[in-house]
Amino acid sequence: MKRPLVILAVFYCLGIILGGWIRINFWVITAMAIAVFAGAALGRRKNGVFLILVLFLTLLIGYLSLRNSWVLSNCHIRKLAADQGNSLYRLDGFIVSQPEFKNNHFWFILRARQIQADKLRYKCRGEVLVKMDFEQELNYGDNLTLMGNLSRPPGFGPSRGYRDFLARQSIYLIMHIKSSLQVIPEDKVTVTKSVTVTFPGPEDKVTVTKSVTDKVTVTKRVTVTLSGQKSVQVIPEDKVTVTKSVTVTLFGQIIRECLGLRYYLEQVISRYLPALPASILSAMVLGQKRDIPWLVNNSMVKSGTVHILVVSGFNVGIVAFTINLLLKILRFRRKARIILIAICLLIYCAITGATNPVIRATVMGLVFLAAYLLKREPDIYNSLASAALFILVPNPRQLLDIGFQLSFISVLAIVYFYPKLKALARLEACRIRILKFILEGCLVSFSAWMGTLVIIALNFRIISLVTVLANILIVPLATLITLCGFTLVLSGLICPDLANLFSLPTAALITLLLNINAALIKLPLAYIYF
Amino acid sequence: MLNFTSEEKKVILFLLGLALCGLVLSNLVKVNCRMEGVVYPQIQLARLNLNQVSLAELIGTKCVPAKLAQRIIEYRNFRKAFGSLEELKEVKGVGDQRYEKLKELFFIE
Repeated sequence: MKRPLVILAVFYCLGIILGGWIRINFWVITAMAIAVFAGAALGRRKNGVFLILVLFLTLLIGYLSLRNSWVLSNCHIRKLAADQGNSLYRLDGFIVSQPEFKNNHFWFILRARQIQADKLRYKCRGEVLVKMDFEQELNYGDNLTLMGNLSRPPGFGPSRGYRDFLARQSIYLIMHIKSSLQVIPEDKVTVTKSVTVTFPGPEDKVTVTKSVTDKVTVTKRVTVTLSGQKSVQVIPEDKVTVTKSVTVTLFGQIIRECLGLRYYLEQVISRYLPALPASILSAMVLGQKRDIPWLVNNSMVKSGTVHILVVSGFNVGIVAFTINLLLKILRFRRKARIILIAICLLIYCAITGATNPVIRATVMGLVFLAAYLLKREPDIYNSLASAALFILVPNPRQLLDIGFQLSFISVLAIVYFYPKLKALARLEACRIRILKFILEGCLVSFSAWMGTLVIIALNFRIISLVTVLANILIVPLATLITLCGFTLVLSGLICPDLANLFSLPTAALITLLLNINAALIKLPLAYIYF
Repeated sequence: MLNFTSEEKKVILFLLGLALCGLVLSNLVKVNCRMEGVVYPQIQLARLNLNQVSLAELIGTKCVPAKLAQRIIEYRNFRKAFGSLEELKEVKGVGDQRYEKLKELFFIE
C-alpha cells in the first residue's frame, strides 16, 4: 500500500463521525473490535482479508475513542461540582495555559487536583476555565488555590457554540473570580538563618518546602500570616525569600520557558511598532490574536484572508528555512542541521501556543525531516495523515473543530487541486517568470478557496467572492511581512538600533495590507452574507 | 573574495534591501510628517468613527443590540455629534462594562 497512513486516518475519522451519529453501547462495539482484532490476527496470511479487517478495526477504534472521550472519570471535577446553585468551592491546582488579558478579563486554565465544598475535600482531576476581573502576575505552572462558584459555560443560543467549543478541549466548568481575596497563591518560603517572620494580613497556610537554618529546622507545614503584597518583616541580617510554588515536570518547565520567551518577543514587537501593526505582527509571527481590533478581523473574514493572521505551515516553513540557512552558513553537517531544525520547530510550536494549524505544520515538518534524515522519499499525504492522527488520537473531538477542519482541508485542497489546475492551465509553457508566479499564486488561492468554501459558508454564513483576488494581492504581502517580522524580532534581540530601521518597512507593509483589504471589501459583491 | 552560496546571497540582499527601505522611510517621515500616514495605519482601519457610523454598522458589530444601536444614533442626532467617547455613558443602556467594550470599537473625529 502506497499511503497506509492516509487510509488509516480516513477510517479513523469515519469512525469518529459514526460515533457522533450512531449510539451503540460501548461494550458491544468493544466486543466487536476484539472479534475483528482476533480475525485479523488469524487471517494475517491472506492479504485482502487482513487489510479489510484492519481498516474495519481502525474504524471501530475511532468510534470507541470518541465515545470514550465523552465519559468522564468519577473523580472528574465536572462530576464532583454541582454546576447550578451557589455552592462555594475551594479549588487547588496549577495553571496549564499562559494567562492572558482578553475582553477586560484575565483568563487561564487551571488543572484541578483537589476540590473542597463545605468541609468535604476530594482529590479530583479535570480542567477549569478561570475568568478573573482583575490582572494578577501569574504564569504557566503556578500553584494556586481559588475560591468561588463553578458554573457551566454559557451556551449562546440553541447551537451551544461556546460550550461545545470548550467541551472539545475537555473544559466543562468556569470559575469567575471577582476579588483578589479569592486567589491564594501557594508560596514557597526559603529561610536563610533563624528568623522571626510575621506576614501581616489575612491568615493562610504556606508550605515551607526548603529551609536552610542555623538554629531551627522547619520541615513541616506551618501556619504563617501572609500579606497580599507579600511584604515580610524580618529581623535585620536574616534573609527570607518568598517565591511562587510551581508544579512542573521537565516538559512543563520547557513549556514555561517557551511561554516566557513568547511574552518577551511580544514585548520586543510592541517596543518597535505602534499598537495596531504590533497586534497584527504578533498574530502573524507569534500566533497571538487577542489584541487584533474587531474591525480588522472582521474585514479580513469578509475578504477571506483571515488565515494570514494565524500561525500556520507557512510560518513553520519560514522558521525551518531560516534555521537551516543559519546552520548552513555556520557549516553544520546535514544530520546535525536536521536535528536542530526539528528541535527549533518544536520550540516554535510551544511558543505559538500549539494550536491545531501549528501542530499540523510541525508534525508534517518533522515527518519531512525524518524522511530526509533516513534518506526516504517524503510523501505529503502521508505526513498530513500522520499529523491528523497525532491530533485526533488523544482528542477525537477535535475533528469537529472548525480550525482543525479548515487547516487540514485547505492543505489537502492545495495538494490535490493545485497540480491538476496547473496542468490544465499549462503553466509550464509560460515563459514570463513574473506572470507564471502570479498565475501560480492564483491557482493556489483558488484551490484553497474551493476546498474551504463549503465549510466557511456553513459555519460563518458568508461567501466571499473577492477571496481569490484578495489572496493574490495579500498573501505575497503577508509573506513579506512575516519575513520582516522575524527579522525585526531577531534584530530586536540582537541589535536594537537595527530593529528601529527594520520596523519602518514592516509598519509600512502592514499599513499597505490593511488599506488593500479595506479597499477590496468595498468592491460591489465582494462578499455575501446569507 | 568571499564565496557566498545562492541562498546566502538572497538573505544578504533581503537584509540590505530592508535596511535601505527603513532608511528611506525614516528620512521621509522626518522630512514630511504626512508620510506617517503612509507608514503607520490610520485609526479608521481599526475602529469605527462614532460620528459617522450607520445603524447597520453598529448592529453589525454584534456588541450592540438593535435597540441600543438605535438609541446611540438618536443621541448622536440629538446632540449633532459625540464630543468624546465618554458621552456614550449618557446613552441609556450603556453601563461601565459595555462602555469598556465599545471604546475599543470606536473613535471620535
